[in-house]
Amino acid sequence: MLADLKELWRFRELLWAMVERELRIRYKNSALGFLWSLLNPLVTVAVMWSVFTFLLGNNTENYSAYILAAYLPFLFFNMALMDSAQSVLGSLNVVKKVYFPREILPLASVIGNFIHFVLALGVFFMFLFGVWAFTGFQVAPFTWRLVALPLLLIPFFALVVGCSLLISALNVFYEDVKYILSVFLYLLFFVSPVMYFSETVRSALAGRANGALIETLYHLNPVATFITAFRKVLVPPGRIEIIQDGVAVKVPPAPFDYTMVGVACVLSFVLMVYGYWVFNRMKWRFVERP
Amino acid sequence: MKTGIALDIREIRKTFTLSHSGAASLKTALLWWKKANREKLEVLNGLTIQVKHGECVALVGRNGAGKSTLLSLISKIYKPTSGEIVVDGRIAPLLELGAGFHPDLTGLENILYNGMILGLSRKEVLERTPQIVAFAELETHIDTPVRTYSSGMQARLGFAIAAHVDADILIVDEVLAVGDYSFEKKCYDYIDEFRRKGGTILFVSHNPDSVRRVADRVIWLAKGQVKMDGSVETVLEAYLAAGEDR
Repeated sequence: MLADLKELWRFRELLWAMVERELRIRYKNSALGFLWSLLNPLVTVAVMWSVFTFLLGNNTENYSAYILAAYLPFLFFNMALMDSAQSVLGSLNVVKKVYFPREILPLASVIGNFIHFVLALGVFFMFLFGVWAFTGFQVAPFTWRLVALPLLLIPFFALVVGCSLLISALNVFYEDVKYILSVFLYLLFFVSPVMYFSETVRSALAGRANGALIETLYHLNPVATFITAFRKVLVPPGRIEIIQDGVAVKVPPAPFDYTMVGVACVLSFVLMVYGYWVFNRMKWRFVERP
Repeated sequence: MKTGIALDIREIRKTFTLSHSGAASLKTALLWWKKANREKLEVLNGLTIQVKHGECVALVGRNGAGKSTLLSLISKIYKPTSGEIVVDGRIAPLLELGAGFHPDLTGLENILYNGMILGLSRKEVLERTPQIVAFAELETHIDTPVRTYSSGMQARLGFAIAAHVDADILIVDEVLAVGDYSFEKKCYDYIDEFRRKGGTILFVSHNPDSVRRVADRVIWLAKGQVKMDGSVETVLEAYLAAGEDR
């Protein structure tokens, strides 16, 4: 594996070129370019916010910012996996004719999407500023918490790299993988706190037998844990409205769960190493796929 | 100019697993009891070839003799089942011209990415871009997307990029007959020039004329082994005679 890493390092310039190519291709045929990639999350969040605020009558403070803070990382996870699933298979004609480290293909997809994600976070801060101004500059959104953002981005990136290496390699041999993946990602949206809050989960489970155990299991999904962590880092704590005993009450957000985030980080790095190992074992057989 | 052995191919074996099910799916992977009777196909069995720097070797043989597999093995696209290939110098594989062109990118952008895939650094590609464009004779179209190119134009661009990689060894798989007559002549001129500079060429061709035109040694592959290895006329005549017998 070290030899593979060395070889990848030797081809690092090609990796950056492939990332650049990925970004160029995406905006080649659309006049709005980068704006398109922002339109999707902004429109989605606007719809979700309208549904929850007007149709379901939820009064959580900073609700739209909360959703956006969770939806952007989720979208990165989603898009990076969908793109990298096709990355090797879609370039099979090149893979069959020219040698270069094959992991460059899924990595370029992930890094390309990661750059989007970071740019989208920039827009998120503008959005947050807007929300701040709209609510009369009450709770300052830009605080020292943001220093923790890179510490969160790195393990999350590792998680996506691990998953995408696994999926891109498997998808070459079993084309069912991408169908399973799209169903999986769709369902992941519901078992991750994007539309709702981990605080909602906690209060719903509070009175139950094995409630704490189920909550731990829920947060063993690293995407759920990271999304909650992103929220806590990105959005100033506003009170969250939850239903307790049939009555809507506003509660302060739960504190940052260091243990679960730590577990998710370890899981992510293990997955990254495992994914790279699997990919390296399979990559020489890509050209010989049955 | 380099001297000595450019390509040292030692006891190369390559076995492929045949599949009769067609599309790959999880189903075939889960049917583990069917794996036992999967067919194996031995494409190369124990091939040993040495090519010196400056030599131009043509590979001939019937379809399925293992010619293209050998070129792919040398280009590091396959890993051999056993055996070893030692390469001295930089290889430019011309297995398919313009493989990896992206239809939505312009000719110029494709030069950059294709050149880098072929092993050049960004700086090297940018330095050579004007020569590549001139060689491909695409000055007027270079800023339009490659999807608007004719297949001849794409092949010209592909050859032009590969020709400027500065390789020591060219690996060519029947790609010289691209474009019109004048471009074909340009390709041959390039190959003559490449050889004058001491470059090594290994190529596959089914066209006896181009073998005579370029090669100074012919290797006849049959059933994954070297059947005959020698000067152009001896081997080519024997090969053509064998073909006429059937």
